[in-house]
Amino acid sequence: MRHASGIITADPDPDAAASAAHPPLRAHRISKEYLGGSFKALDDVSFELNNNEITAFVGPSGCGKTTMLRIIAGLEYPTHGRLEVFGNPVVGPGPDRGMIFQAYTSFPWLSALQNVEYGMKFTGVSPQERRERALNFLKLVHLEKFAGSYPRSMSGGMKQRVALARTLAQNPKVLLMDEPFGALDAQVRWEMQELMIELIEREKKTVVAITHDIEEAICIADRIIFFTRQPGRIKADIPVEFKGGKRYPRKEELIKLPGYADLEHRLFAMMREEIKASSET
Amino acid sequence: MLQYRHLPAEHEPDCGGHDAAPGKAPVFVPPSKRFLELREQPSSNRSLILGAVGVISFFGLWELGHYLTAVSGRKFVPSVEQVAAALYTLFADHNFLRDVAVSCRRIFISFLAAAAIGVPIGILMGCFGNVRALLNPTLSGWRYLPATSFIPLLLVWFGPTEQAKIALLFIGVIFFLIALILDNTMAVPKEFVEASLTMGASRREVVTGVVVPAAMPAIFDSMRNMIAVGWTYLVIAEIVGAQDGIGAVMMRAGRFLNVDVIMACILMIGVLGLLTDAIFRAASRLLFPWNIERRS
Repeated sequence: MRHASGIITADPDPDAAASAAHPPLRAHRISKEYLGGSFKALDDVSFELNNNEITAFVGPSGCGKTTMLRIIAGLEYPTHGRLEVFGNPVVGPGPDRGMIFQAYTSFPWLSALQNVEYGMKFTGVSPQERRERALNFLKLVHLEKFAGSYPRSMSGGMKQRVALARTLAQNPKVLLMDEPFGALDAQVRWEMQELMIELIEREKKTVVAITHDIEEAICIADRIIFFTRQPGRIKADIPVEFKGGKRYPRKEELIKLPGYADLEHRLFAMMREEIKASSET
Repeated sequence: MLQYRHLPAEHEPDCGGHDAAPGKAPVFVPPSKRFLELREQPSSNRSLILGAVGVISFFGLWELGHYLTAVSGRKFVPSVEQVAAALYTLFADHNFLRDVAVSCRRIFISFLAAAAIGVPIGILMGCFGNVRALLNPTLSGWRYLPATSFIPLLLVWFGPTEQAKIALLFIGVIFFLIALILDNTMAVPKEFVEASLTMGASRREVVTGVVVPAAMPAIFDSMRNMIAVGWTYLVIAEIVGAQDGIGAVMMRAGRFLNVDVIMACILMIGVLGLLTDAIFRAASRLLFPWNIERRS
């Protein structure tokens, strides 16, 4: 771990933080190898995220999109490459990159309010301000009535809303979401997508969200990065142009836009290609 | 289909409309329930009654055993009331309360020591792979050594003293306790740890603020189970050169073939065991209100 972080920290740019020219996140030639290089989860992946843009990582299972997200979060280290948040090299997990997991991570021993307050302990927020901010964010995810409730008595969607509030309350520079709605049923999932779009519009966040659901990707994303399988590479980097720079929390409005079906078709075709390729090897 | 019965009235399918007869739809009569019904939770009243039936049957069988024994041998199979009388005499005439207190004290001290050492070690092993790799092979080996095999050694070291007894109870409990707590700690979802790391928590904060509170109810359960093991070792600890304690009373009774006294002591240990269990359960409910299962 130590030597791996050494590789990433090599050659840090001293003026990086001061410069506003840096993108929120820059991944430069990231590779991740396992088993001494015989298995490549990621192979020479480079991209930059744009400010206040929602990017979706899409691809078949095992394409390395989760590995990429975990490397961005600092929970794993790349074998090669360099990763920067606003020019600062990433050396491990930190509150500048908030992460929402597919598994429920609301702490069961804390009430919803305490859960949302929890993260702010580490970002130097005073206890009084923590309480105010936490209540505010609970309100934003429509859980103000459940401030005192424990996660045990909550539904999956409510638990994920607590997690969303907790992460946003920390005011991260980049919000990472690892299939955050993957465990929810279709209707709750749909509600959560709408809520997420509204929240991101309001909080002005740079977001990376993983999904293997093509419809979800088109619905939430301003840009879609499609990963291939084994080795994980970027197959396509697609700006979602048909939305015309707007976001549509209401799915029924989005679906009838010209261009929606074309994009969906294109992504399904790519997914088919990847599945076919992997079944032939 | 059974759950139809629990639906509130407004959920009943509406059959009005086309050709249905006016008024309410017929009441659905579910099949009657059998004793061995799958997915059935007895009501608390029913549980109480069933539990009482079990206890009464046990004492009934015991009583039956007494009267089925030939009169010449009945001294060795005393009846329930004889054992109860023996227990009463023990308390009334032989200051049995003191022996009970001495035994409880031994259990308490040895278990406190085992928990004070075992819980932190188990948690550290559960959190850090290197600590686990360092300690696990040695500790696993210790688990296979019967605690009773240490009796001669403890007698040589400590003589028939209080330390020897407490040490035996300690050895009997600690290695299993560590193994259980290691498992409890490792069962904490790794996403909890990762979520707190991405929020900026330090290692110390992850251990004390996330892993420990997450694992605590399970650790408490493990302690409850292991103190039961402590009670099972008690008699062995007190058989060897003890003047007081429940085990010593039993041994003395054995020498005079007072089976009723022996059985009274066994009964007493059972009651004390149940009591400790109840105390642990109640404490767990008080300490971890967030962990109480709610029936939906």
